[in-house]
Amino acid sequence: MRLLLAKAFAAATGVLILALAILFSLTQNPSP
Amino acid sequence: MIYFLRGLFWTGVYLALVLTPMIVLLLAPLPPGNGFWGDLSASLGFAGTAMMGVMFVLTARFRRATTPFGIDVIYYFHRQIALVAVGFILAHPAILLAEDPTLWRLFNPRFTPGHLWSGIISFLALLLLTAASLWRKELNIHYDEWRLWHAVLATLSLASAILHIEGVGYYTRSSFNNFLWILITASWIAILLYVRLVKPFSLMKRPYRVKQVIPERGDAWTLVLSPDGHAGLRFLPGQFAWLTLFHSPFALKEHPFSISSSASLSGEIHFTIKELGDFTRRIKEASPGTVAHLDGPYGAFSIDRAPAPGYVFIAGGIGIAPIMSMIRTLADRKDERPLILIYAYKNWERLTFKEELSDLGKKLNLTSIVVLQEPPTDWQGERGMVTEELLRRHIPEEEVSNGWEYLICGPVPMIQGVEKSLHRLGVPLSRIHSELFDLV
Repeated sequence: MRLLLAKAFAAATGVLILALAILFSLTQNPSP
Repeated sequence: MIYFLRGLFWTGVYLALVLTPMIVLLLAPLPPGNGFWGDLSASLGFAGTAMMGVMFVLTARFRRATTPFGIDVIYYFHRQIALVAVGFILAHPAILLAEDPTLWRLFNPRFTPGHLWSGIISFLALLLLTAASLWRKELNIHYDEWRLWHAVLATLSLASAILHIEGVGYYTRSSFNNFLWILITASWIAILLYVRLVKPFSLMKRPYRVKQVIPERGDAWTLVLSPDGHAGLRFLPGQFAWLTLFHSPFALKEHPFSISSSASLSGEIHFTIKELGDFTRRIKEASPGTVAHLDGPYGAFSIDRAPAPGYVFIAGGIGIAPIMSMIRTLADRKDERPLILIYAYKNWERLTFKEELSDLGKKLNLTSIVVLQEPPTDWQGERGMVTEELLRRHIPEEEVSNGWEYLICGPVPMIQGVEKSLHRLGVPLSRIHSELFDLV
């Protein structure tokens, strides 16, 4: 169970960071 | 519950550390954007580098922060999140080069700027350390050499990445962002100093001496250590410690082993270690009086963290060591709760702790089931692997529903198989505990 949780948390952290990176790129470069 | 709340708190601290560079990028005033793909690439580079920095915190063995989870799972998480970070760092140059192939010209050494050299060194060091960690055994890399190179390459990779970020300097022109990266660098250097200097120095001040090395069945040895000039470790039965023997704590040559002695025993501590590699083969050479150092205790694998009306222990091979610590402790406490031990081993003659388990069966309400892979011809007991059918035969249904706790220790495939089988038998995952060995 701990392994599953650790794997899921690693994946969720990665997705969250990727989402923030995309959000940053969109806000930094608004479409004209 | 207290462990759960502490776990939530430290999970929040981890997320805050790893997300801060992204949040600062989002909130701080910055120069104009470099286009969607350029900025995505840059932000993934920032995030990957921050994640690499936080890896040093994860693996610094801060006991307060790791206790709620068990440090074995922290190392497992380190391995998983490292793959995510490597993915982001690989994506950083890949996106830039895919979007603007003319950037390849910068890889001609005549035109390569200094900050790009830092980036390339960081990238190559990261690839090397990832490959060595994923395929250490396949590449025949000795554990001690791997540990040393892992530390060197990780330090080189992160230092070069920070130089690369400062060298490019576009987003770090913002004073807030620049301050953040100076803070990250300073914290990282402080952690390096703590792990490589302060901690080994504190271990030097609490030495142990080898009292005895006892041969056990199955090519195992019990190393008996006595604290030298201090009170020794207080541990929960089932926990482990990092052992340094034949070297100074500064030498980065330490190995994790489960404590096999009773937590009620004072004045000495036992580790039962199977001969599996170069270091473990040398245990028997430790003469009485040899100096040893222990970093510990660590681990969440303990009956004392899972109160229950009864326990089922499932051990594979030398995975019996932490379980012996728990059974011996229960015997010393004159515990009367029912216990079932399912112990898988290769053959009967080499079964580690064969005689002592039989004696403990008389002192405790303990039922032992030995499962042999290579049983003698007249063997009447269980044989083969620990399967769902075997567990069903030996764990009465009422014990599944009566709140018993299940503790498994052995090779990773066995742990995963037994966890699935127990769950199918109706045991909630929250009542199944395991200790991982052999992570790298």
